[in-house]
Amino acid sequence: MLKKIDKNVYASKCPKCGHLHYPAPMRCHECKERRDPSKTVFADFEKVPLRGTCKLLTFTRVYALPDGYDLKYMNFGLVEFENGIRAAGQIMTDDLKLGMPLIAKTGVVKEVIGKDIYGLQFYPCE
Amino acid sequence: MIIDELEKRLRPVEKKLPPYPPKVITLASGEKMVVRQATRDDGPVLLETVRPLIDVERDFYDVVAARVYSELLGWYRYRVADEYCLVGTIDGVIASLVNGRTVNETTGMSYHTITIKRGLRCGAQMFAAKMEYHFEYLKQKEVLIVAESPIGYKRWMIEYQLEARPQVQHELGGVPTHVLTEPLYQAAKPRLVTGQRPVSPQLLATADEFIAPSEYPQIPGFKR
Amino acid sequence: MRNVGIVGIGHIKFGKLEFELVDIMAWTALEAMKDAGIENGIDQVFVSNMGGGIINRQCGIASALVSNLNLEPAMAELVENGPASGSSAVKLGYMAIASGLANVVLVTGGETMRSLNGWQATDFVATLLHPEAEYNYGLTLPAFAGMFTRLYMEKYGLTEQHLAMISVKNHDNAALNPFAHVRLPVTLEAIYGNPDANVINPYMAEPLRIYDMCPVSDGAASLILCNMDIANRFRKKPIRIAGIGQATDTHCVHNRKDPLELTAVKGASEKAYKMAGIGPKEISFAELHDAFSILEVAESEEIGLFERGKAKNAIELGETRVTGRIPINSSGGLKAKGHPVGATGVSQIHELVKQLRREAEPGRQVKEPNYGLAINFGGHAEEN
Repeated sequence: MLKKIDKNVYASKCPKCGHLHYPAPMRCHECKERRDPSKTVFADFEKVPLRGTCKLLTFTRVYALPDGYDLKYMNFGLVEFENGIRAAGQIMTDDLKLGMPLIAKTGVVKEVIGKDIYGLQFYPCE
Repeated sequence: MIIDELEKRLRPVEKKLPPYPPKVITLASGEKMVVRQATRDDGPVLLETVRPLIDVERDFYDVVAARVYSELLGWYRYRVADEYCLVGTIDGVIASLVNGRTVNETTGMSYHTITIKRGLRCGAQMFAAKMEYHFEYLKQKEVLIVAESPIGYKRWMIEYQLEARPQVQHELGGVPTHVLTEPLYQAAKPRLVTGQRPVSPQLLATADEFIAPSEYPQIPGFKR
Repeated sequence: MRNVGIVGIGHIKFGKLEFELVDIMAWTALEAMKDAGIENGIDQVFVSNMGGGIINRQCGIASALVSNLNLEPAMAELVENGPASGSSAVKLGYMAIASGLANVVLVTGGETMRSLNGWQATDFVATLLHPEAEYNYGLTLPAFAGMFTRLYMEKYGLTEQHLAMISVKNHDNAALNPFAHVRLPVTLEAIYGNPDANVINPYMAEPLRIYDMCPVSDGAASLILCNMDIANRFRKKPIRIAGIGQATDTHCVHNRKDPLELTAVKGASEKAYKMAGIGPKEISFAELHDAFSILEVAESEEIGLFERGKAKNAIELGETRVTGRIPINSSGGLKAKGHPVGATGVSQIHELVKQLRREAEPGRQVKEPNYGLAINFGGHAEEN
């Protein structure tokens, strides 16, 4: 049976010291504990979904998009979540200010042949 | 004017198109590109300008130049109806030209954009001028557009977010048709259309007589 | 460790080239060999190139170059380190000679990107970003540069006008450089602040505009490096490599403590200064990696030429022009000379050598240069 698509984006938490990483490295940047996604030799890191409120650190509107994005422009930004994790993603509003609060959700960020790719999209707070 | 009876039957009935008021665009180099509408009298120099590019394979210059040549020649010799040509000149020398025609009151048809001067986005300004003519001066509601080169496709289709309308046949032979509608034009205008009016008489005088380029970046070592 | 000098330089005009990738590399290698006065005797070849596998579908380019030039059995390696591949190849050349493994090294950097359109080229370079956390979003190098610029402007009061002035300067320099891709001066009045400027110089990644970004170019450059002990065997006086430094930063830009700090640039320059036994004050001129005009500003501060936030004053005073106190990008920089990614780092050293030999074209020769410094970086300041 096909696996259900996991639409979440995760930070990964070291099982030994609790340090959060995004994206997941193969060893903890804090205590050097190793990560094993197959869980055969070591444990995998705990997955912590990245969502909820975050702060916009900086942003841009890009007109020259890479091949495959037939859009006039897209907005991108760097955000910081309340747990200190930072991430880049697409911003789904044109009304932007440095430092503004945003809500992180996940959605289709890219379509490749026969498949949707999910990632972080930031929306203005209601 | 006396016109031969047979010739009369061959010639299309022509409307008098509202004129395109000349404008001037300051290019990144600081050079002033004057954009004015060509008259039939300008025909020979336009043809002379386009002709050398018929042999340039790169970027589909050959296809575009051959077609522009035939379109302008057809217009010059009364075989195309309601065609216009806008020309961008720097110190009188032709940098880029665009042409098209009107299909009816509300619909225009874009033919081609051909640019000799490279690196200053002259072609993009001239394409924008052509759309400006259709919407602001011919007061049309939409313009049918096709692209024959990948650069043209990306530039026009994406920058203007054209609407695909493959069921409509453009005169340029079955290439999928796209449409710039008035709302799409208005949305694109602030970012893509520029130029200042009126053009000072001195500057406008430089474009009185078009001059065919003596150099073509597309043709190294060109000699006329 | 043995001292290393540069005794030969070769370059081809950047832009749209009709030759194949290895052929343009070979052209510049032959120019460098001619400059050094040699036809053979190369122990080791380092080739820098980023996109051979992706763009040209060609691997093993270093051996192909050796064979093209009939330099067998020279040792040969390809160096791929993103847009910093060129300086990495120079560094490896240095290491090979300093260690005693080789006496004469050919370093050639080359790239053919014009077979791609702008959108494809942007995508190609973006493949060096993190695949899931960055690339999949449609993020690109221009996007990161735009985000960086917004923060920098907010913090230090830099304006779009400052950036336009850098572009004008680099275009002016390139106009005098026969190897530059865009040899077309632009004027400040035309690209900034006049009624047509928003359309002539449109935003590409706000607040960066089209004249803040390097073009897509084909190109190549070569150097002949040698053990300083045998430098008198060559035609030209050697230019000594006084110091080299390299450093890396986090792959994902969001993981940097201060997104405005180019830690790798700072670290690499500190190492290079230390090795050379000099400081920023001794630098007469610099070639900086201005894939985006903002990077020239930020790098010039990270390497200590100006205090943080103060490069804008130097721009206003014209200090970074060829005639100024500390000329930057006398070649035209990546902005106007062009940025064939794998060639850039080698091309920058080509310019340093040309200037230090006083062989630059009239109008862009730096006055009495003693030390030149080049910064070549990959990604958004990941490798230097």
